[in-house]
Amino acid sequence: GALGPTSGASCRLLPLLLGLDAGSDLGRGFVPASEQRPLQATACECLRELESCKPGLLGGSLGLLRGLLGQEGPVQPLSLLLALALRNTLVLQSRVGAGLGGLLTDKVPPTGGGPWDWTLVEEGDGRLQPQAPSWPAAEEGEGERSLTAREHSPEEARELRAAVIQLLDTSYLLTPVAQAQLLWLLGWALRGLQGQPPALFKPQLVRLLGTAQLTLLHAVLALKAAFGEALFTAQDEALLLRRLTLAAQHPALPPPTHLFYLHCLLSFPENWPLGPEGEEAAPLLLGPQLCRGLLPSLLHDPMALLARLHLLCLLCAEDEEEEKGQLPSPRHYLEELLAGLRQRAALDEGPRALATVCFQASYLVTRCLAGQPTVLTPLIHGLAQLYRVRPMLASHFVDFLDQVDSELREPLKVVLRQEVVSRPGRDEALCWHLKMLAKVADGDAQSATLNFLQAAAAHCTNWDLQQGLLRVCRALLRAGVRGGLVDLLQVLARQLEDPDGRDHARLYYILLAHLAGPKLGVALGPSLAPPALASSLVAENQGFVAALMVQEAPALVRLSVGSHGVKGPLPVLKLQPEALEPIYSLELRFRVEGQLYAPLEAVHVPCLCPGRPARPLLLPLQPRCPAPARLDVHALYTTSTGLTCHAHLPPLFVNFADLFLPFPKPPGGAGLGFFEELWDSCLPEGAESRVWCPLGPQGLEGLVSHHLEPFVVVAQPPTSYYVAIHLPPNSKLLLRLEAALADGVPVALRTDDWAVLPLAGDYLRGLAAAL
Amino acid sequence: MAQRAVWLISHEPGTPLCGTVRFSRRYPTVEKRARVFNGASYVPIPEDGPFLKALLFELRLLDDDKDFVESRDSCSRINKTSIYGLLIGGEELWPVVAFLKNDIIYACVPLVEQTLSPRPPLISVSGVSQGFEFLFGIQDFLYSGQKNDSELNTKLSQLPDLLLQACPFGTLLDANLKNSLDNTNFASVTQPQKQPAWKTGTYKGKPQVSISITEKVKSMQYDKQGIADTWQVVGTVTCKCDLEGIMPNVTISLNLPTNGSPLQDILVHPCVTSLDSAILTSSSIDAMDDSAFSGPYKFPLTPPLESFNLCYYTSQVPVPPILGFYQLKEEEVQLRITINLKLHESVKNNFEFCEAHIPFYNRGPITHLEYKTSFGQLEVFREKSLLIWIIGQKFPKSMEISLSGTVTFGAKSHEKQPFDPICIGETAYLKGHPGHYTATWTTECAMSSEKLHFRILDYTLTGCYADQHSVQVFASGKPKISAYRKLISSDYYIWNSKAPAPVTYGSLLL
Repeated sequence: GALGPTSGASCRLLPLLLGLDAGSDLGRGFVPASEQRPLQATACECLRELESCKPGLLGGSLGLLRGLLGQEGPVQPLSLLLALALRNTLVLQSRVGAGLGGLLTDKVPPTGGGPWDWTLVEEGDGRLQPQAPSWPAAEEGEGERSLTAREHSPEEARELRAAVIQLLDTSYLLTPVAQAQLLWLLGWALRGLQGQPPALFKPQLVRLLGTAQLTLLHAVLALKAAFGEALFTAQDEALLLRRLTLAAQHPALPPPTHLFYLHCLLSFPENWPLGPEGEEAAPLLLGPQLCRGLLPSLLHDPMALLARLHLLCLLCAEDEEEEKGQLPSPRHYLEELLAGLRQRAALDEGPRALATVCFQASYLVTRCLAGQPTVLTPLIHGLAQLYRVRPMLASHFVDFLDQVDSELREPLKVVLRQEVVSRPGRDEALCWHLKMLAKVADGDAQSATLNFLQAAAAHCTNWDLQQGLLRVCRALLRAGVRGGLVDLLQVLARQLEDPDGRDHARLYYILLAHLAGPKLGVALGPSLAPPALASSLVAENQGFVAALMVQEAPALVRLSVGSHGVKGPLPVLKLQPEALEPIYSLELRFRVEGQLYAPLEAVHVPCLCPGRPARPLLLPLQPRCPAPARLDVHALYTTSTGLTCHAHLPPLFVNFADLFLPFPKPPGGAGLGFFEELWDSCLPEGAESRVWCPLGPQGLEGLVSHHLEPFVVVAQPPTSYYVAIHLPPNSKLLLRLEAALADGVPVALRTDDWAVLPLAGDYLRGLAAAL
Repeated sequence: MAQRAVWLISHEPGTPLCGTVRFSRRYPTVEKRARVFNGASYVPIPEDGPFLKALLFELRLLDDDKDFVESRDSCSRINKTSIYGLLIGGEELWPVVAFLKNDIIYACVPLVEQTLSPRPPLISVSGVSQGFEFLFGIQDFLYSGQKNDSELNTKLSQLPDLLLQACPFGTLLDANLKNSLDNTNFASVTQPQKQPAWKTGTYKGKPQVSISITEKVKSMQYDKQGIADTWQVVGTVTCKCDLEGIMPNVTISLNLPTNGSPLQDILVHPCVTSLDSAILTSSSIDAMDDSAFSGPYKFPLTPPLESFNLCYYTSQVPVPPILGFYQLKEEEVQLRITINLKLHESVKNNFEFCEAHIPFYNRGPITHLEYKTSFGQLEVFREKSLLIWIIGQKFPKSMEISLSGTVTFGAKSHEKQPFDPICIGETAYLKGHPGHYTATWTTECAMSSEKLHFRILDYTLTGCYADQHSVQVFASGKPKISAYRKLISSDYYIWNSKAPAPVTYGSLLL
């Protein structure tokens, strides 16, 4: 279209903007002199946006922009435009390993003011790409690479430095937010650039450190992250930290700023970080003395409280030993604070937010101070007390138990359970108690729990309460409680008013009576299928269906037919099973297609594990006629999660040769006479044929030894072999292989079964290839 | 560094949506970049409706916090900054910078110039601080001198034009929106070379400089063993320099009398060109000693046209201006209260107003009151369960006044009575407002406390002042210099000494 990248309008746009920007005649003709400057500024904004969206677009105009900045152009828009173009050019050129060339000094854009070819930028490396992080710590490797790629000639380096100094020197003319952008861009551009000492930034720093501007301090932090020790000595770092600490609590700044500074403190780009990267930690230089004003109190709003609490936790974690003599100890203060939060959460009319903060704080503490019983023990007791006072916070407790580590969860469960069962309930808190108990009930303290439930049952008059009660029963069932629970369920199945409740109780009772422990656990586990109906019974049933019925599943077991052995009176198929996941009680069922063989027995394997070699399975075949067949295979097994699955496996093929058996040796010994006798017996009912059996490089001897060895009756190696094969149920196949030529051997064959003839022919013709 | 979108939302509790989007703007070119930068993790900017709903939910500003909602109330969802991830249509929009101030929610979404999974550290996103500054700028613009809703509406209607200048294509160029407003008006003036971007024109007229120092004093008084009372002065110095020339150089100095309290934690305006290292390092974090820098505090600067906050400081004065003592005891059906207030002799005894607010939280309305006061009058707000002790312009000669009495409360009716999470039982406070040497005192009762409100004119607690010699102008003409001072109370709490009170870590350091 008219605005497509190759259209005439687009081609003229950039030169037009550059012309306006340069305040050339083009622009002058447009507007009165008084509007020249705003027009220039606007052209700059447009160019900056174009450069942002097409990085590298203005790479050729760097020199021009520099010149304008030096003369009369509006400072702020030009500075930002030049810094952006410079940053993009340096980044792009490091990507292709090129230098700046004369870009910074050429005053005329490469197109010489003619129409601009937009497609050039597309083809070059100028497409917009996700940027490497502007924050270097995240990708050290990248930094290394760009360090080598971005070497400039002394000439280029000097020009670059001059350009940067030019930009920094006039930076005080920019608004604070624009100054911050300039610093980000330049810091980013110069990072890892040889011959560009970051000390260029130094004259700006003191001025910036004194301000309260969020953007400026943030930009200083970016420089700190980019250049580290090269720009900030240890003393500078300490000063920066102090200013940050101060800003994070300065009463004159708004709360969102405090919070952001606090975040910056905990993510402070230290010169020599000790802890793992990417984790919030108090910087080394931020000692207890500095933190003093940053500690939480109950008067803070929730976000400030949590942010400061985090810092307090880090302090507590740090000076675990040292603080003994220190008064007041941070840990003691932490305890008091948590107690205060719990007291607030316990208020009857308190909004939910108060409770939420209390639990968030507790969670934060457990995260930061895991493994410190001096903190966790009072926390557990405090929470138990909170529950005693305000059981309606049960949902928060359940959530809390879900989130914390077992180190806290298990002891907390115990005290909460005691808290619930020790006061048999008939009050309005019963529904909360039941909710709580469904979470914390397990195999311990069974009798107390059951007593509580028995007492509670009488008060469970509505559907909600009954469901709550049954949920606890369910939890107990899962935990493997049996004894007293049977009685309770029986009582419930009779007594409950609500039919749904009665059905449920009965269902649980039946499950308890009929299922073994592990199976019960699985049956009551989280439902695999999403409930289709709102009814709890239906929802639950879907869970049972999943657990108690056989599931159709993709095959987790593979079968392959192993080498063929000949022993005994029947052909036996040797199967090699292989499991993809641990499976138990595997039953393999086979069905012969076309009823060529008698029905096959199922094969049982107690357990199969991937990686552990399994014994081969022997499958005896009882052919009704001597023909190859296809076996349909089904597997039934239990998974490690306790589900019973059924899978259809790929069919197995029984080949003609798999049915071969040797003739039982006659009492007189097998010899030529025995063979002749068999040979003669085939006719006249049977059939006779001659087949050409091609030989491979191994020759006749190899062929026989590989395929027919067990059946050879008379052998005169290497020229003549007489072979007698018994084909169950009662057919025979006799072969004479004599007078072999180089590429084949004529085979005379006889059989007493016409139907075998084509199979035998195919078999012999395929032998050479099968080797 | 750019913003993808910005919203102003008025918070209207009690309405069905609990809020209305008053202003919103999206930046399509930035959005296009976001799509490329964020790659597979890109989440588009939602429509106003879903955004409003998700934001109010996240900020807990919807009315329904009756039930536990895991996605909001779970203990592991901890937010420690004003930057949020909003769940909208199953995807999470991050980072959303947002805060509530004066019933308006300010929100914007900065561009992140890389992939969002894994989430880059917040500190590495340059757009975040720009976003904050943007929102603060809008907030300043909307509330500077704004008095009523129609003025707010006028200003909101000016926003689109202003943002075109202050934030073209989503890149913030000037957080001071008033500059852009002036810029629009000044457009026809020929601007000279090297005009600073933060100065939109030049002043013509008589040179004059005005400096006003406002100190706020905060205090927490417990009157308890093992807990130290705390107080702090926070100063703001506001200047307006009407001087001719493009970039006049000015040095403003603040002075302290010999017994003045050193200024600390000094934060300066960005127009200050250089800072003495003594100013930069004097900080309340360090233990105080006699060697602390006590001025004069010199600030060389190039002033902007408009009035600006030259610097903020804090200071630790040796004594609180008013020392309070508050006792509250529950006696069967009534509360017995005793309050003593003592003005320190060094403080100017000439208030613009001074009153003590004594609130009673978590109780029913006041049904009966008997009291005796040595000075001033007591106003009773029965329904609000609040007593206001109006002390007036002067403390009596003795500098000490007292109030005692008993209060009886009616049954607590739910909704109406003030609820406070801290003032439980006997925990109560009194809050005072020392103001322009007229002080207001409020006594509020958190764990029972009173709160003082007061104001004293032409006075600072630190002694900090500016005078005719404080301003050096390196330009033609001697400017007329005017200086103002005042002291205001803010968060001046006196806690019931007979009950537990919330303490800060600082109060435990004796």
